[in-house]
Amino acid sequence: MSFQSPRRIRLIAGNTFLEAVRQRFFNSVLLIALALIASSTFFQQFDFGSSELKFIADFGFGALFFFGSILAITVTTQLFFNEMENRTALTMLAKPVHKFDFLAGKLLGVQLLMLAFTSLLSLVLLGILFWRETGLMGQMGPDAFSEGRMVRYMDILTFGFLQWLKFGLLSAVTLFVASFSNTNIYTIIVSFCILVVCQLQYIAREAYADMAPGPARLLVQGLGLIFPNFQLFNVGDQLLLTSQEGLPAVTVLQISLYACVYIVAFLLLAHLSFRRREI
Amino acid sequence: MKFDHPIFQRLRAGCLTVVVLLMLGCLLRPLEAPTWQQVQSGQPEFNLAGLEGALGQGILVSTLGGFRAIMADFLWIQANTVWEKRERAKFDSMLRLVTTIDPRPLFFWIHSARMIAYDVPHWRIREEGGYRAVPDSRQAEIDREQAEQAFALIRRALEFHPDHPHLYLEIGQIYLNRLDDPEQAAPWFLRASEQANAPYYAARIYAELLRRQGKNPQALEYLQGLYHRLPDHDPRAQKMIILERIRELEELLGVKGESQFKPQLMPDTKFIH
Repeated sequence: MSFQSPRRIRLIAGNTFLEAVRQRFFNSVLLIALALIASSTFFQQFDFGSSELKFIADFGFGALFFFGSILAITVTTQLFFNEMENRTALTMLAKPVHKFDFLAGKLLGVQLLMLAFTSLLSLVLLGILFWRETGLMGQMGPDAFSEGRMVRYMDILTFGFLQWLKFGLLSAVTLFVASFSNTNIYTIIVSFCILVVCQLQYIAREAYADMAPGPARLLVQGLGLIFPNFQLFNVGDQLLLTSQEGLPAVTVLQISLYACVYIVAFLLLAHLSFRRREI
Repeated sequence: MKFDHPIFQRLRAGCLTVVVLLMLGCLLRPLEAPTWQQVQSGQPEFNLAGLEGALGQGILVSTLGGFRAIMADFLWIQANTVWEKRERAKFDSMLRLVTTIDPRPLFFWIHSARMIAYDVPHWRIREEGGYRAVPDSRQAEIDREQAEQAFALIRRALEFHPDHPHLYLEIGQIYLNRLDDPEQAAPWFLRASEQANAPYYAARIYAELLRRQGKNPQALEYLQGLYHRLPDHDPRAQKMIILERIRELEELLGVKGESQFKPQLMPDTKFIH
């Protein structure tokens, strides 16, 4: 039996993607997220502080992060445990399919799903921003837009790409939790807790910088190292408007590399844990 | 007890996971550190000095993400409803909540500070029996207490917007309009005028405050310097008004003849005597 067969991984990924797309949960979340982004111009009338375009972008980025995180965790868990509960995993693994192929296929399938989700939301957001900016250009006249359009539309796709990588990392973490967990509710809860810890770990790191040397400092320092820093992907404020200095391409590459290394690491850890598991 | 017991196996797997993740964290640190620095520099809410503030902010950023703008907007509307009902304790916490959820818009900070410094003193004086019943000293004390609260709020705003002239101006305005203290107000107008994109009137008010304190020579010197620094072609700079004030001060101080200020005149500028 060959280890890591790309063909088998691709087949499992394709099936996982098709299965996930057919799920009602995915379609509901997708529809809600799309409706929310589409209605951002309505919510804009309640805005006091930000400019219209910034508000719409923030709103869209928020929907992408919020619903994407829910989707990445829940769909990964559901797809993994469906195979266990329906005993299809048993049938599959009885054939010449390595457990790593199974995990990698699942992760890749979820990533394909998240790619569809992220692309769709990013494109809708891009369309709404373009429509509103064109409207504003008509209202405010050419003087207000003397330096061209205010929105850097490529940045929306960059943000979408970085979020997609973050969802990949979140799915890998969820898969790792699922590899040793017995129930899907436990996996979902633990994964959400890890998401919050990863979002907040930068605070712990800044805290240990001011702490006196000792066990407490070591513990906080360790926690800062164990959990990936999800705030690295929180670059929405730096992107989008031409009046702001954008994010350098090197930084985007560094963030991507960071995500990829962690995705592979969590996948390998999931494999280590899953290979001993009785199905 | 055998060491291949499931408990030991789980413990070993847990320890292995922690060690692997620790090593990975250490290995990735050289990649992560410059990236984090770059991301952090673009987001003021990641740069809080106080851990307490950072915790609140961090949790809200992580849970609400981009939705914090709309959440803060709705809470602001609710804060205004509370303001109408004059529920002071609830009002204070609402303002704190709004500015914590979304510290980016200046609107929330400035309007919150104004409500605290200008509206709440009226409520408190009325609660204590009204303007006729409350002695002037007590009224002044209430004004001072509320102004201090507003200053604390603006100081927090300055952590997020350290270069914004309107925040310095707001402190100056409260000293001037609420506490009637031009001496304390003046340095804040000066600081506001020194920020990038400061409105021109900040410097003019600073000079006027110097004059009100009787510091006419300093006011004259400041206005002379200011006149040279201001652009010639921007009508908002009001250079003619500056020149008028220079002449008024020269007359007051008895500056005549050759000692008088000689502006570099533009061809279309009239000289005022």
